[in-house]
Amino acid sequence: MLSKEEEFFKELLSMYKIEAEEHLKAISSGLIDLEKVKTPDERKGIVEVVYREAHSLKGASRAVNLGDVETVCQSMESVFSMMKRGNIEQTADLIDVLLKAVDIIDQLINAPESTDISAIMSKLHAVEEKGGSAEPSPEAAAQAADEPEIIEQPEKEPPARNTVKPAPEEKPKSAKASPPPKEPEPPQETENASEPASVSQPIEVQKTLVSDTIRIATAKLDSLLLQAEEMLAAKLTAEQHNKDLRALSTELEQWKKRWESYDSEISQVKYGADAKKEQSRNNGGVLVDFLLWNQEQLKSLDSRVNDLTRISDNNARLLGGMVNNLLEDMKKVLMLPFSTLLKILPKVVRDLSRDQGKDVELIVRGSTIEIDRRILEELKDPFIHLLRNCVDHGLEKPGERNKNGKPATGTISISISQQSGNKVEILINDDGRGIDPEKVRKVAIKKGLLSEADAAAMSDEDSRMLIFQSDVSTSPIITDISGRGLGMSIVREKVIKLGGTLTLESEVGLGTTFKILLPVTLATFRGIMIEVYGQVFVIPTVNVERVLRIAVDEIKTVENRETVTIDGKPLALAHLGDVLNVPKKNQTLQQVEFHQGMLLNSGDKQVIFIIDRIISEQEVLVKSLGKQLSRVRNIAGATILGTGKVVTILNVADLIQSAARLNLAPTRVSKTEEAKLEKKSILVAEDSITSRTLLKNILESAGYRVKTTVDGVDALTAARAEEFDLVVSDIEMPRMNGFDLVASIRADNRTADLPVILVTALESREDRERGIDVGANAYIVKRSFDQSNLLDVIRKLI
Amino acid sequence: MNKAREKDINRILKERAKELSEVPADDGIEENSIEVIEFVLAYEKYAIESSYIDEVYPMKDFTVVPGTPSFVLGIINLRGRILSVIDIRRFFDLPVKGLSNLNRVLVVKTSEMELGILSDFILGVRRLPRKDIHPALPTLTGIRAKYLHGVTDEGLVVLDVQKMLQDEDIIVHEETDI
Repeated sequence: MLSKEEEFFKELLSMYKIEAEEHLKAISSGLIDLEKVKTPDERKGIVEVVYREAHSLKGASRAVNLGDVETVCQSMESVFSMMKRGNIEQTADLIDVLLKAVDIIDQLINAPESTDISAIMSKLHAVEEKGGSAEPSPEAAAQAADEPEIIEQPEKEPPARNTVKPAPEEKPKSAKASPPPKEPEPPQETENASEPASVSQPIEVQKTLVSDTIRIATAKLDSLLLQAEEMLAAKLTAEQHNKDLRALSTELEQWKKRWESYDSEISQVKYGADAKKEQSRNNGGVLVDFLLWNQEQLKSLDSRVNDLTRISDNNARLLGGMVNNLLEDMKKVLMLPFSTLLKILPKVVRDLSRDQGKDVELIVRGSTIEIDRRILEELKDPFIHLLRNCVDHGLEKPGERNKNGKPATGTISISISQQSGNKVEILINDDGRGIDPEKVRKVAIKKGLLSEADAAAMSDEDSRMLIFQSDVSTSPIITDISGRGLGMSIVREKVIKLGGTLTLESEVGLGTTFKILLPVTLATFRGIMIEVYGQVFVIPTVNVERVLRIAVDEIKTVENRETVTIDGKPLALAHLGDVLNVPKKNQTLQQVEFHQGMLLNSGDKQVIFIIDRIISEQEVLVKSLGKQLSRVRNIAGATILGTGKVVTILNVADLIQSAARLNLAPTRVSKTEEAKLEKKSILVAEDSITSRTLLKNILESAGYRVKTTVDGVDALTAARAEEFDLVVSDIEMPRMNGFDLVASIRADNRTADLPVILVTALESREDRERGIDVGANAYIVKRSFDQSNLLDVIRKLI
Repeated sequence: MNKAREKDINRILKERAKELSEVPADDGIEENSIEVIEFVLAYEKYAIESSYIDEVYPMKDFTVVPGTPSFVLGIINLRGRILSVIDIRRFFDLPVKGLSNLNRVLVVKTSEMELGILSDFILGVRRLPRKDIHPALPTLTGIRAKYLHGVTDEGLVVLDVQKMLQDEDIIVHEETDI
């Protein structure tokens, strides 16, 4: 009962949070706009809007018992009301106080315990006192009292307003959430006349709202997208099944062909048998009939498998198409207009420019263009970094601007436009001093990123791009805003991670333009499957710059690090297996002339990793490693292949770091050692997959070449087909047990001398004796099994 | 003679019925006993309180995750989800002796943590009187001996799953410095 109430309250609170956030955004953007507009009438219109927003927020806060928020709103409301009546003068300080109040409310909503409102309240009170201390409280009280009766009032007044400020319309729910304030201003003709210039309030003016919309919690949509992404597994599995069926079909085809090649012999026997009539029909004839029946069965089986393959073919294609469409559409559902991100920017710019004593005007175009929400979230930091860069480095102080014949107020413009081919272009431009390529070059030389000669040969454009490297900053001092040379490299990294590109144009004295080209939706993660020392991993395709073959002679050791020169550039080299600490598989240590290499990048760092081989490239659904493995070095996650097998996905940023840390042991092994290692090979027969894997790992890390088989028959076939130095076998196995395997090995001349170790759970004396009887060289009971024990025995035998 | 035998049989049956009808002293009472799942791992018998066990899953294959501590065997595909599987022998600094078939995974779960515990096979479910569980042997000194609830007379190792799942040390979280 109580819990139900609590639940309801919780739900109410989460709805309130969404609502409050919108009110706060509207108030803060209104306040910013207030500073921009010049005419008192425009101001009045804006004050009216923020006044309503504050009032609505107050009402909503009361409903969820957030007294502190209510108190702050109350005070803000009084201040707005005074501003409306002209009782108080609008100053930058006043706006500061109000913006601060917005921040405090935001904190109150998200972390009520740790927020203190006394400071802001005293400031607000001070403002209130200034504006005529007699009025506010009675007025506010009256307001609170007559709130209920005026619910419908706002609907009456819009005619005059909606041409001026579309802002109220963009929040259709504000009417329902809480009653708007009393006493709507009598429609003011002047407001109509003074339609604000689009420049001063670009965000508001360009915003149009589609009417057929519903409000859905993003968490729900996210979970829906997640489920749609899971469908990828179904698609991959269908493809895998199709592949398996095709393989089966080919096998059957070969069987059929083989059979057909004996057709004439079979019919000869058949006719022979027919000729001899009755007697022989009992022998050869019956068998021939059986053979023919078998052939018929095979044919019908073959055609049925072919049908199935065709159906599965269609299925895989259909499912693939459906999943792709579903994913595409789901991604579109999750698209949001840029305005949701851009709304916070005016405040950021204002705060920054006031700190620096600069006058800045921010112009935004194209904020209605939509983009994947996940991209938008990732863009927040880059945008703030770029704006900081514009304000701090780009724009000059008013005095300097005047001297250069520029208007004292600097302009930063953000324009977003839809490009062809599912791309969005973002231009961030300032009309400041521009980036001096000479200065950048000097810094780069000083930091050792560039040699003097290289710098001299570098074009101005390329030099400017250097600012995206970490550590390069043209700022002479480090401030808390910028100058550490980190911001731009973060921007670049994020943009590249999102699959976009970043370029920059700048002219000294005229300004700088950053151009970001981004995909509209996040592409499905693609990965390259590779093998290292027998283990399979996935490397994100975005991190793979190129695949290359590296001649062993080209590897040079510089300061104990192996490097290779590619296109005139020395690049660090590391063996992926060593970096990951994967146990070495010794058959790969043969003297090779070429290594398979992959040039991986993360940010501006590049390292070549040596791998065994590339398997394929495919779509990959990234999954976390589970709650217990919250962060594993070098591993970004895991994915499940169509076969159901789990493969880990590598984290390239980590890998590059690990490679740098690894004091690289030479990847080449001396020849004598190699020869020794290469000789010994062990055949393992064990039916349990885990024991098999364990044995394999133990033996391989001890330097043997290992082949595994699943039972006695399998092992015997392998032992006859290949040369081995030793056999390790389990006793209890399907088809042929260990005793029989030993007996068969001894019985065959080719393998009679092959040492065999029986590893078993059977511990009786009889079994041990039987093991010795059939000719096993050693008998190890699993119970007392440990690695060194087994390895000792092996060393004794070979 | 037949009659005497019948009488005998009746008496024996009655005695048995009486014996069976008696409620065991403490085994049946909830507070005095816990319900555990018994399993075998490499010739050692272990038990886990059954309320923590979400399911028992057959393990067909596992993938080694490079760079994880030795107690992490690897990860498996649990119906489309990834589950990490641990080898509890490593917790008690026991020599990892014996090859096991490792073919069952006990999925243990709380709201904050979920992982798999390796086992060879499951023996069954039974109630274990609390008084029969003795504190851990002093010889078990491994760092993670704290995961041990106790040992019974018959040598059954009872694990404290709650402690194990709440322990921060069990979480692999390797932050890289940049």
